[in-house]
Amino acid sequence: MSHVPVPVLRRMQDEPLAVPDTDRRHLAGCARCQESRRAVEADAAFAASLLTPPPADLDTSAEWHKLVARLRAPAPVPAGSARPARPARDAARAPRRLPRRLAASLSTGTAVTAGVLLVGAAAAATLTTVYAPTHVATVPITSSDLSAFRSITGLGEGLAGGLASHGPTTLPYGQLTWHAAGQARKVASLAQAQAQTGLTGRLVPAQLPQGIGPVRGIMVQPQVTETLKFSATAGHGVGGSTLIVRAGPGVLVQYGGQPGQPAPGTLIVVAMRRPVATSTGATAAQLEDFLLDQPGVPPLLAQEIRMLGTSALPVPVPAGVTAHQLTLGGVPAVLLSGPSGAASGVIWESKDGVVHAVAGLVTSADILNVAHQLS
Amino acid sequence: MEASFVTRTGPPPGATFSAFERFYRENYATVVRIAYGVTGDAQAAQDVAQDVFVSAFRRFPDPDSAPEAVGWVCAAAAHTSLNSIRGERRRDRRQQQCAAAPPPDSPEDSVLAAESRAEVRRALQRLPRRSAAVLVLRHSGLSYAEVAEAMNVSVGHVGTMLRRAESALRKELQK
Repeated sequence: MSHVPVPVLRRMQDEPLAVPDTDRRHLAGCARCQESRRAVEADAAFAASLLTPPPADLDTSAEWHKLVARLRAPAPVPAGSARPARPARDAARAPRRLPRRLAASLSTGTAVTAGVLLVGAAAAATLTTVYAPTHVATVPITSSDLSAFRSITGLGEGLAGGLASHGPTTLPYGQLTWHAAGQARKVASLAQAQAQTGLTGRLVPAQLPQGIGPVRGIMVQPQVTETLKFSATAGHGVGGSTLIVRAGPGVLVQYGGQPGQPAPGTLIVVAMRRPVATSTGATAAQLEDFLLDQPGVPPLLAQEIRMLGTSALPVPVPAGVTAHQLTLGGVPAVLLSGPSGAASGVIWESKDGVVHAVAGLVTSADILNVAHQLS
Repeated sequence: MEASFVTRTGPPPGATFSAFERFYRENYATVVRIAYGVTGDAQAAQDVAQDVFVSAFRRFPDPDSAPEAVGWVCAAAAHTSLNSIRGERRRDRRQQQCAAAPPPDSPEDSVLAAESRAEVRRALQRLPRRSAAVLVLRHSGLSYAEVAEAMNVSVGHVGTMLRRAESALRKELQK
């Protein structure tokens, strides 16, 4: 019989009943395994002596009351975000703006920089310098988180209308530049979009939700490259290094409503090559530590990003939006539903590394039906 | 197409704290214990626990319908407490708190204990994040199955991670 694996020797120390009898019998007669076990036990005992907490005298009720007070308190407004929160729009109006806002956000400065930070932090979580996410996962965010990002990055509200296809901006810790391989543009046909982007997967569902009319337009977004060059004085060992994130190209297909309908519906279908990050001169752990340790990064958001794991593409989920995690065609997907239920969207990454999204003024069931046809 | 689990963000309209309070009371001591394993300071551990449960409430206002919530708060306790010991200023402050705090038998013991805790914190910071997390989760008393759930790995892999982490911790402290 082969020797007892070291992880089994380790578990034997803590949970002996969980170890197979065959391993125990082998150990009893094997000097080599016994020697390994002694080394394992010594390290385990050493760690236990340093890390095992003493029994604590906790006032759980008092701490609960403190917690409730915190939960009921209004969210703090981070420094640098003097603009008050907008009042909630009425349910009928808010969903109507969703597709336009989604499309616009693809090119806003905040999205660019938040993308670098989010993807960069997630990339840093891997042990290599290359990040290529394999699935989507949710990250709850608040308006305070977004304001904090704007404050950290120095990108203000003035950029919310969109950025040029290329440009630089100076950050407190380095220089962020970005450029697109061309302008976002309308194309005449799906075949043209597929030829220009190489995205040959299905983008048009055979069956559309009720109230959704014909295709109104097809847009192509060439690949965008974002480069964050850290200044020499940046800490955590990242000084002088460069983080490069490439995303796209992508295709957006927009559907309009049926003629004559009182409230025209809209639906968009997006496909985009997943973002891939590379880093030079800094380790993954150093990048993660640096980006998430910046003053003003909300600690809860940093924690959420750290907990994403090593291969997840973060999907920001604003407060009030309901997120369901699903599997779609055998891969993880995230379904987002607005407060009124009139608008929803779903996002997933297919096994060939393409990120897909479907969103519109339709119900969750209709969105999932469309997504199912495309997955 | 099937739903594996549901995540809500933000308290639903009219939410009450009753379901969350039960979850809190069942898991508060565990969360504090995990945080204490990293910070070595009772007050700092309770501060971490507050942050963890605030975050948990945003994510799981109805934890009864979220079986992954327990593993999540354990992992969050490990990560949040590891975050909390970052930065020289914060670490120095906690070192002073530890040195000023409790009991041992003699002033020499007290100083040695404080230095030892500070050394351990520095070593945890130098370890890969997941190694540090698995160490504090296991040594706070979580079973292999609970550690596996919190770390999102198989139970069999916990032994591998733990063995590597304990070996790395010893090497860090012997440098």
